Amino acid sequence: MDWSVISSSIPVYGEAALLTLRIGVIGIIASALVGLLCAAVQSFRIPVLRQIVAVYIELSRNTPLLVQLFFLYFGLPKVGVVWPSEVCAIVGLTFLGGSYMAEAFRSGLDSVHPIQLQSALALGMSTPTAFRHVLAPQAFAIAAPALTANVIFLIKETSVVSVVALPDLVYVAKEQIGTDYDTSEALLLLVAFYLLLLLPISLGANWLERKVRSNAFGS
Amino acid sequence: MQRRTFLTALGAFATATTLAACGGSTQSGSSGASSAVGLRTVDEIKSAGTIIIGVFSDKSPFGYVDSSGDYAGYDIEYGNRIAQDLGVEVKYVPVEAASRVEFLQTGKVDLILANFTVTPERAEKVDFANPYMKVSLGVVAKQDLAITKVEDLADKKVIVVKGTTAETYFEDNHPEVKLQKYDQYTEATNALADGRGDAWATDNTEALAWAPNNPGFTVGITSLGAVDTIAGAVRKGNTTLLEWLNEELVELGNEQFFHAAYDKTLRLVYGDAVPADELVVEGGVVA
Amino acid sequence: MPSDLELIFQGSNLGRLLGGLWVSVWIALVSMGASVVLGLPFGVVMTSKNRLVKLLCRCYLEFVRIMPQLVLLFLVFFDLTKVAGLNLSGEFAAVVVFTIWGTAEMGDLVRGSITSIPRHQFETARALGMSPAQVQRHVILPLAVRQLLPQTVNLTTRMIKTTSLVVLIGVVEVLKVAQQIIDANRFQYPSAALWIYGVVFFLYFIVCFPISWLSRRLEARWQIS
Repeated sequence: MDWSVISSSIPVYGEAALLTLRIGVIGIIASALVGLLCAAVQSFRIPVLRQIVAVYIELSRNTPLLVQLFFLYFGLPKVGVVWPSEVCAIVGLTFLGGSYMAEAFRSGLDSVHPIQLQSALALGMSTPTAFRHVLAPQAFAIAAPALTANVIFLIKETSVVSVVALPDLVYVAKEQIGTDYDTSEALLLLVAFYLLLLLPISLGANWLERKVRSNAFGS
Repeated sequence: MQRRTFLTALGAFATATTLAACGGSTQSGSSGASSAVGLRTVDEIKSAGTIIIGVFSDKSPFGYVDSSGDYAGYDIEYGNRIAQDLGVEVKYVPVEAASRVEFLQTGKVDLILANFTVTPERAEKVDFANPYMKVSLGVVAKQDLAITKVEDLADKKVIVVKGTTAETYFEDNHPEVKLQKYDQYTEATNALADGRGDAWATDNTEALAWAPNNPGFTVGITSLGAVDTIAGAVRKGNTTLLEWLNEELVELGNEQFFHAAYDKTLRLVYGDAVPADELVVEGGVVA
Repeated sequence: MPSDLELIFQGSNLGRLLGGLWVSVWIALVSMGASVVLGLPFGVVMTSKNRLVKLLCRCYLEFVRIMPQLVLLFLVFFDLTKVAGLNLSGEFAAVVVFTIWGTAEMGDLVRGSITSIPRHQFETARALGMSPAQVQRHVILPLAVRQLLPQTVNLTTRMIKTTSLVVLIGVVEVLKVAQQIIDANRFQYPSAALWIYGVVFFLYFIVCFPISWLSRRLEARWQIS
């Protein structure tokens, strides 16, 4: 282990971490919005839109991001649309993440028994109140582990963006291994920066999950 | 009832896959457990009857897989000949730029013939045999940019393919040039054609073959920097194999083996834009 | 344009692509099977009240989930050889890596579904005179499994899609075969890449879609009962 190599490489990894974070955060927020929208469309069984959402979800989650990105980056220019690398990366991540988020939200909503909604309504709650105080907390509590897993999964999926020539953390590490052969240094830096990025998210989500859960179930 | 069916199915699935996994492990155990950790001397390779060579599988015309699934290319011609003269079978392992050295250091391959550019830093990690090829770099650029020397690239986006000599050259000599790196040649050429970069730095043979077929592009620089050499690499300290390879190169030089290999692989795609002698190294000695 | 698509049918290209697909699927399914076997007990252990047990499980989960699979592949394939002299084949190393990862993810899903079961289910079952073990076996597990299935399927398809990383350790799967075909023909078929990638897109889809569909069917059936 060569510590001078490590310290001299830190700025490069820092820059890559920022790129990973930027693409990841924007992509995840957009994914969550797309996911909520899709889950709502499915839950309330809106005609036509529901079929479109179903097709989107199947296409998105049954094909790899790498291939999706390839089409955005190399395919679209053939019809005259040239998006910059970062735009492709964010759109691609959202296309993938949207379906995963939708599934998580949907399984949460579906697993709350209809009797709960009926009871709430019978107790005189309005539908929005029942949704907000009865359905949503339970649905979110059930979906929480899947949502956390999705957030981490999506940030890790950003490692694929090197196919559109974006220097993310994995790209930088692979480069350092491929040109200078500082394998152990590169892997150590890669793990350290991923921990730095993801551990706070993971622990934060864990804390949030417990909080929501105790609100929902009182345990 | 339904729950039970599911649990039974789960159990069956789990058992089946675990069995499959065990099957996989025994196969792997028998295939290469012998002395893969240490390096293998020439005698050990001979008595094992197989030499394992790491090559690129997606860098035609140097190392690629043809449509019948066989390895082919300039590097493979050399590899096949090495195996033939050692009197052993050859097994090719596909490597990536990022895994080349690891494969050698763990003894998972005996030799790397993967367009491996010789640099002093790399020579600290592996032992290079004498070269079998040399590379001059060329730069393809949009015609209207009028790029003729490396200084013109200073504020330009330059495309390179990972693991090629061009990447090493710019990293070491011109860190100020902003590189855009791709894994595949086709990705690099597509990106250039789509206007994602200003220029593409690559082996000049590649540049001279590509530009004439693509209007609007020209080879602005036909020869860049010093000539780099490509050589086989063995694990550090594997002197018997290294010496054998160097002696072999001398013998192959006597029969002009690499000129024949050039005609068989590279001339087909590069044509006569670059004379063979610009690329081929015979006898392990750069003329 | 169709002339670029004909590349698929040249030589053994189509067979090679399907062979590559089989490698991806084989590695993912074997790993997933092992992950289910190991992940179920791991998830139950994760719900333990013991602080030390909880902490250890948590560390394993966080570390493995955060660690890029690339690093695990290097560690298991190369470093195990260097340090312990253990020389695994590429395929087996890939299965080990994906099982390490899958067990962690699976365990967390199991934990999530067990703890999301409302407390009154435990209490009602206990009040009916069931032992804690009986409660686990007859009440908690069946409820948990229902929630677990769609998520397990998600994980399976994710795993199939993540296997493309294994090319780093010399295992050639479908995506690498596609790149090999594209590269070997880049002079005669310069725009074949989009077609070949289109086929790869389709191949992943026909493998992953039935799995997703099956889970949806099972889910729907359980909901009625």
